[in-house]
Amino acid sequence: MSEAHPILRVRDLTVELQSAASRRKVLDSVSLDLHADEVLGIIGESGSGKTVLSRAMVNWVSRPLEMTSGQIFYHGEDLRQMPVRQLQVLRGRKISYIGADPTSALDPTLPIGHQIVEKLKSVEPGISEADARKRVIETLQAVRIPSAAERFNEFPFQFSGGMMQRVMIVDALVTSPDLLVADNITQPLDVTVAAQILRLLRDLQAEYRTAILFVSSLLGVVNDIADKVLVLANGRVVERQSMQGILQSPEHEYTRHLVRDMPRIWEAQSEVPAVRARVNSNHGREAILSVRDVSRTYATKDRSRLFGKQYVQAVRGVSFDVYKGDSLGIVGESGCGKSSLSRLLSRLEEPDSGKILFKGQDVGGLRGTALLNLRRGFQLLLQDPYNSIPSHLTIGRTVAEPLIIHGGRSKAEIREKVAETMAEVGLGPELAHSLPVGLSAGQRQRVNIARAMVLEPELLILDETLSALDQVEQAKLLGLFEKLQVRHGMTYIYISHDLGMVRRVCSRVAVMYLGRVVELAGNGTTFFNPGHPYTRALLSAVPAIEHRPYDAATYLLEGEPPNPINIPPGCSFRTRCPFAFGRCAKDEPTLLARGSGDLAACHLAEGGMPAPGMSPAGLHDLNPVPALRSGTGA
Amino acid sequence: MLFAVDFFLRRLVQGLVIVVLVAMLIFTLLRVVPGDPVRIMLGPMVTAEMAEETAQKMGLRDPVPVQFIRYAAQVISGDFGHSFVRSAQGGSTGGSRGGDTFDASNRAPVMGLILTALPYSLLLAGLALGISLVISLPIGIVAGLFSGRWPDRLALYLSSLFVSLPNIWLALVLIFLVSVKGGLLPAIGYQNWTYAILPALVLAIELSPVFIRSASVAVSSNMMESYVPSGIIRGLSRPRMIVAHVLRNSMIPLLNVVGIQAIGLLLGSLFVIEYAFNYPGVGLLMINAVFQRDFPVIQAIAILACTVLVLVNILVDFAATTIDRRLQY
Ligand code: SF4
Repeated sequence: MSEAHPILRVRDLTVELQSAASRRKVLDSVSLDLHADEVLGIIGESGSGKTVLSRAMVNWVSRPLEMTSGQIFYHGEDLRQMPVRQLQVLRGRKISYIGADPTSALDPTLPIGHQIVEKLKSVEPGISEADARKRVIETLQAVRIPSAAERFNEFPFQFSGGMMQRVMIVDALVTSPDLLVADNITQPLDVTVAAQILRLLRDLQAEYRTAILFVSSLLGVVNDIADKVLVLANGRVVERQSMQGILQSPEHEYTRHLVRDMPRIWEAQSEVPAVRARVNSNHGREAILSVRDVSRTYATKDRSRLFGKQYVQAVRGVSFDVYKGDSLGIVGESGCGKSSLSRLLSRLEEPDSGKILFKGQDVGGLRGTALLNLRRGFQLLLQDPYNSIPSHLTIGRTVAEPLIIHGGRSKAEIREKVAETMAEVGLGPELAHSLPVGLSAGQRQRVNIARAMVLEPELLILDETLSALDQVEQAKLLGLFEKLQVRHGMTYIYISHDLGMVRRVCSRVAVMYLGRVVELAGNGTTFFNPGHPYTRALLSAVPAIEHRPYDAATYLLEGEPPNPINIPPGCSFRTRCPFAFGRCAKDEPTLLARGSGDLAACHLAEGGMPAPGMSPAGLHDLNPVPALRSGTGA
Repeated sequence: MLFAVDFFLRRLVQGLVIVVLVAMLIFTLLRVVPGDPVRIMLGPMVTAEMAEETAQKMGLRDPVPVQFIRYAAQVISGDFGHSFVRSAQGGSTGGSRGGDTFDASNRAPVMGLILTALPYSLLLAGLALGISLVISLPIGIVAGLFSGRWPDRLALYLSSLFVSLPNIWLALVLIFLVSVKGGLLPAIGYQNWTYAILPALVLAIELSPVFIRSASVAVSSNMMESYVPSGIIRGLSRPRMIVAHVLRNSMIPLLNVVGIQAIGLLLGSLFVIEYAFNYPGVGLLMINAVFQRDFPVIQAIAILACTVLVLVNILVDFAATTIDRRLQY
């Protein structure tokens, strides 16, 4: 490794956003060095210019953005001065770029293998078709894509997001580049899949000795891979340090904030008081919503038989109670059935079997006004704050809409109620008469919340409601929800993939896998002593800057959940469970009490799994990136 | 393979239903609009009794459903019946020559009439489609690649101009300028294939705006897909991205346009244009049949046209699914 000659040397790079009236600096005199075999993390929130920086490394800066000054030296040659043809060859061969959206990076109509071969032949003219093909299949195997030779001929839409990101890693590494720019590559993925990708990238980096510029907005993710970190805020480099240095002694004000506000799961100094009081005291309390053995199956076309149908078992025999004033979290990977469950709970769909009781009344049979009255009692809030607000109505009118539909109030009463609700969720009274154009995502979500709250519901179902918001806005809205809970005794169901948020706000957590609840436990038990290996696997994959009691070497899953069409008998988790044994293939474990109202569905829930590693917090060096588990993934 | 079987089975059944419905509609409409074919067959001089007797003999006074079922049974056995008007020797019978010349056994079979006319129409339609694609694809593709800039605007002006030219007017102008004044191409009737060029040109100009528009929209929307910049960053050149990916994927909407809009338009305009050029194709046969209330001919052509449309549609959709496999799901 030569300290003197970095692979990439950026000096005073400035990129400006040009508009008709003004110029704004998106990147302001950014300099950095990246040496061979090194992983440099770049962290910054959205809008900090980190994507522009990573694209500038492959000279992908187009109007209205423009590089106005500075140099980007690759092995001493300035990319900005290089003739286009030369750059074209360098790009894709020696410098590779992977972006945040793997599913749209390739032509959707051609098999992935053919497209990677096309690229290989284009940047390495002279390579024979057979050689190129062989090399691509080998690299597909190296990123552990199961049955690589067959998947070579499959189309992008046949891959999940995680598998597609692996394909893009193959595409990037197949030419053995010496520089890889990874721009937020784990962003759209589930935590478990993101953790797999990070582990894979780290292994490949060691094997191919590629220098990586790793860009992310999540401190926890960067912590898992980078040696050094550069902190970007408003287009400027505000801090550069080793990863450890950043966590232990952040220098710049912005970094200090970032490290301090990063939600902690295990090191949380103060649990939310409301949560602490409520944990494990369900006895003798009123269940506001009871879910009784609910199932939902969808029929889809079976392509292997003529006119055949196959059945996707999205929700399988789910039962739980939600108590008044409680907050229940429902977590799991995508495809675990949590969104289908959310549609059932909010009665957008009816279950095939089982019952949902709201305050003792079966929701299923209701029609007409009875249903409308019931709807007052619970409201669903979705993730997308953009499409759900009509753009031609004033905000006040939008908030009033449910009151008008439900009727029975005078104009003046409605106006008063709307004003009161808007004030409560933090929308200024002047907004009542304006249109929703120009509202921020957070403000829009507040309009949605106001629209739901105006009916004074007792139960709110939050389906990934806050996922699209940044950390700061998310924290504000969580605060709002807590306030409303204390004031009105609201009950919440948070459906989320964000374990950090669930840790902060939910008193109980239901973990779902393949349509079943596999663990239902109090907040403390879920995070400190879960009884199901799947819960531990989720915890081991959370991007974190603290010590994790469940290390990835033991728990992190390979592969993705099997397809919920033909679920085999026995424990549905056994294909990925590190502890599976003979009995798991025969008996399906049921949710059994582990004491104090906590339930888990695993034969080993009472013991037989390693104890959580509760070493002192803060010793990040005790948690190195794990070596690969031997053998290929299941 | 399985997909193909499933696809064709399903679509052919659907198509059959459509054709049967159209046939019923045409059949019924023909019998409820005014104009008694017997009068035209036998001429104005014939007595009312005579006309009534002939009509009854031909089953024209039976209830429409009964007539339709009789007709359908005939069609299934491959027989589209005989023309009311044309004799087997060619030319029309009936009219002013009086009742005696009407000879039921000497009328031309509809199928024969159509099969004689069909090759001429196929030549004309093929030529029109070819000319139109040759003109509009390059224009449309360039417009799509430079979306929002002058080639795009030029293409827009050109298609607006083409759209606003009425085909019958254009036909007359071309006949006058190219054929009568210029003497460059023959125009009226048919003796050899050069007689098809002028009418094909008129049809091509009518078709072009649709092609130009859909080619440019398809290309420009594909250029905006993120796989294009991403491919260039992956190390593929821009020309390669355009030729191997963008143009290939733009084929899908284009195929649809060719299959549905273009064939539909062609079928419609063929009648007018063949009439204007006195071109002896199916269109002219149809127009004359309409004037003469020649029900069997009208019905047969309508059913065949509908069948062609349905079949082309199925084939085009199938071709699209082989280009973009996502459409199979
Ligand atoms: S029952 Fe067996 S396979 Fe299922 S989670 Fe427990 S140990 Fe793993």
